[in-house]
Amino acid sequence: MSNRTLACSVLLALALVPLGAQPVPDKEELKLKLPKPMFIGTPTNLKSANLEKVTGKPRGPFYVPKGTVLLSLKKKVTSSDSQPVIGELDMITDGEKGGGDGYFVELGPTSQWVQIDLGAPHALYAILMWHYHSQARVYRDVVVQVSDDAAFKSGVTTIFNNDHDNSSKFGLGSDKEYVEVAEGRLIDPKGVTGRYVRLYSNGNTTNDLNHYVEVEVYGSPK
Amino acid sequence: MTRGRAGAIVAVALAAGLALRLVRLDARPMHHDEANQALKFGALLERGEYAYDAHDHHGPTLYYVTLPFAWLRGQATLASLDERTLRAVPAAFGAATVLLLPLLAPGIGRTAVAAATLLMATSPAMVFYSRMYIQESMFACFTLTFAIAIGRAATEQGWQWPVLAGIAAGLAAATKETAVIVVPASLTACALAWWSLGSRRSSFALTNAGSAAMVSLAIGAGIAALFYSSFLVHPGGVLEPVRAAATYFQRGIDPENHVQPWHYYVRLLAWSSSGGLVWTEALVLILATVGAATAWTALDASRPDRVFWHRYLTANAAIALAVFSTIPYKTPWNLLPFYTVTIVSAGIGISALARATGSRAAHVLLVGAVAIASAHLSWQAWRASVVYASDPRNPYVYAQTVPDAVRMAARIRDLAALHRERERMPVTVIAPAGEQWPLPWYLRTMTHVGYWTDASDAPDLTAPVIVSSAGHTDLLDATLGDRYVSEFFGLRPEVLLSVYVERSLWDRFLSRAGPGERGRGD
Repeated sequence: MSNRTLACSVLLALALVPLGAQPVPDKEELKLKLPKPMFIGTPTNLKSANLEKVTGKPRGPFYVPKGTVLLSLKKKVTSSDSQPVIGELDMITDGEKGGGDGYFVELGPTSQWVQIDLGAPHALYAILMWHYHSQARVYRDVVVQVSDDAAFKSGVTTIFNNDHDNSSKFGLGSDKEYVEVAEGRLIDPKGVTGRYVRLYSNGNTTNDLNHYVEVEVYGSPK
Repeated sequence: MTRGRAGAIVAVALAAGLALRLVRLDARPMHHDEANQALKFGALLERGEYAYDAHDHHGPTLYYVTLPFAWLRGQATLASLDERTLRAVPAAFGAATVLLLPLLAPGIGRTAVAAATLLMATSPAMVFYSRMYIQESMFACFTLTFAIAIGRAATEQGWQWPVLAGIAAGLAAATKETAVIVVPASLTACALAWWSLGSRRSSFALTNAGSAAMVSLAIGAGIAALFYSSFLVHPGGVLEPVRAAATYFQRGIDPENHVQPWHYYVRLLAWSSSGGLVWTEALVLILATVGAATAWTALDASRPDRVFWHRYLTANAAIALAVFSTIPYKTPWNLLPFYTVTIVSAGIGISALARATGSRAAHVLLVGAVAIASAHLSWQAWRASVVYASDPRNPYVYAQTVPDAVRMAARIRDLAALHRERERMPVTVIAPAGEQWPLPWYLRTMTHVGYWTDASDAPDLTAPVIVSSAGHTDLLDATLGDRYVSEFFGLRPEVLLSVYVERSLWDRFLSRAGPGERGRGD
């Protein structure tokens, strides 16, 4: 392979990386129902190299294969903290995304995970999560994994990791940290297949606790 | 209530109060005010240096009283100090405040004292601020001592109470400038209660009132002068509180920040609901209102002294609350001096309810209700002081340092451990003064940390670690380029600091952290 061919291949591959953000013929825009913002204004003073730039603008459209559906609604949720301080684990998949009191579950300090059982393996095309959007804060060491093994001991694919200093010991994460906002954080699983989705976090910039308002997992219905 | 039962309740309350005040004193990150006080105490501990600052930091007693606590733990330097030593001081005074209440038994009765002791020991507000290295817990102890002493001086013979009143007033004045509110509030309430008795006040012991007042004043002034002059090392310091008066008066009536509505204190105590957490000390306020209502509407001709005490203490709480509520400048810990007498008023309210209920079954119900209320307060106190000690949903938390800031300091110390100069590793902090604290406390073992409020003032930008507030990151990003990597940490809610680390040092840090080694399925 010539150097020119190699360079063209690399450029093509790079261009296709953010595929979910591109309109293509066999795809459709993922329609999301977002909650109302809980705080006014944009925390534009929050700037750092490993923090996603806060634009204050809505996220652009996200494209997924036609026929993609919400898989996680009302699905069973388990956690490393089986007795949450506030709320119940089933709040994470109950479809309620309002950030106010009574709509979130609060897990204990240090690294904690929640796990959604989709019931069967599915090809996944989008994961949307809200930790806590009543206040501008950043959750630490957010790691999202997919597996067919409920114990996550084999066949684990990490689809998001922003643990920039490897403090949670999953290896260095290359994704950036982000400020929690009402539109949630959208992750592109790029079609990875799995039955279980596990999400880790390790406290936040306001306190040591871990929170979830809602997690939505979208994918192929089969 | 028998003496034995009352004594047993006081003992239980004290044990509960001590446990709530002393367990896990390091659970909450150091507030910037605590850190500031700690550094000031460090200068006294290490070099014997103390001079009153008329613009900030309040009075000197906190620092001098902390000395024996540090000596007892064998800590002779700022670097060797820890949160437990410092916070043991307000905790001890918080417990001492509980122990003062039996001195009120001759005046308000053992039932009221026992009930008030339980409420005081377990009140989340009292517990939370008894675990904070600021002046309030000591100040509340001294002002309540003063209130008790002048009440006893008004109703009993002897010089011990005027002397105690003088000592307490002097210590209160040497602790916090708001003594000029709290001490006159007690004197006014005392005079008002005495005047309200009409012809029955002739049975009182005010035979040497003028002499007693002079003795109290002389002792109080002498004690305050000793502290403000740094025990005669700086005689000119005696006049500094006079200079401070203008500063604090201006700050009180026309504050630049900390402005709150008039109902701030009542609302804070009555009800708070945020982020799924509910807090309330409304029962104490309701019982205090019952106590005040019965004190000022009923007149037991056979016990004018008791009527006096009930009216005096409830009026004291109301006057102090009214004055503090009127002042625009409000911080939550300022509620302590009037909340102590409010809790005593709640004890008077419980005593009035006990007298109003004749049957044994009603008494049992009342005792059960007080026990449940105390248990509920204890649970809230634990939650406020340990579980949610720095959480902004906790109503007692105010401009509190978040745990992320402690992680930032730990990160800097970890980086220093990998640097050839170890704890002498240079660190540059560029942030407004309000965003530098409590870093000086957490980096107290590091000897080469420089603090600047503006990047242009810093001598150079070559330190292996540079801490910056959000306002300076654009300049630092442009100046430091790829030579540094940066990360960020929370300081207080919605206040972030960036930490720039020299790339080679960061690489060493990461290589030490190792690859992903967490077991699958953790």
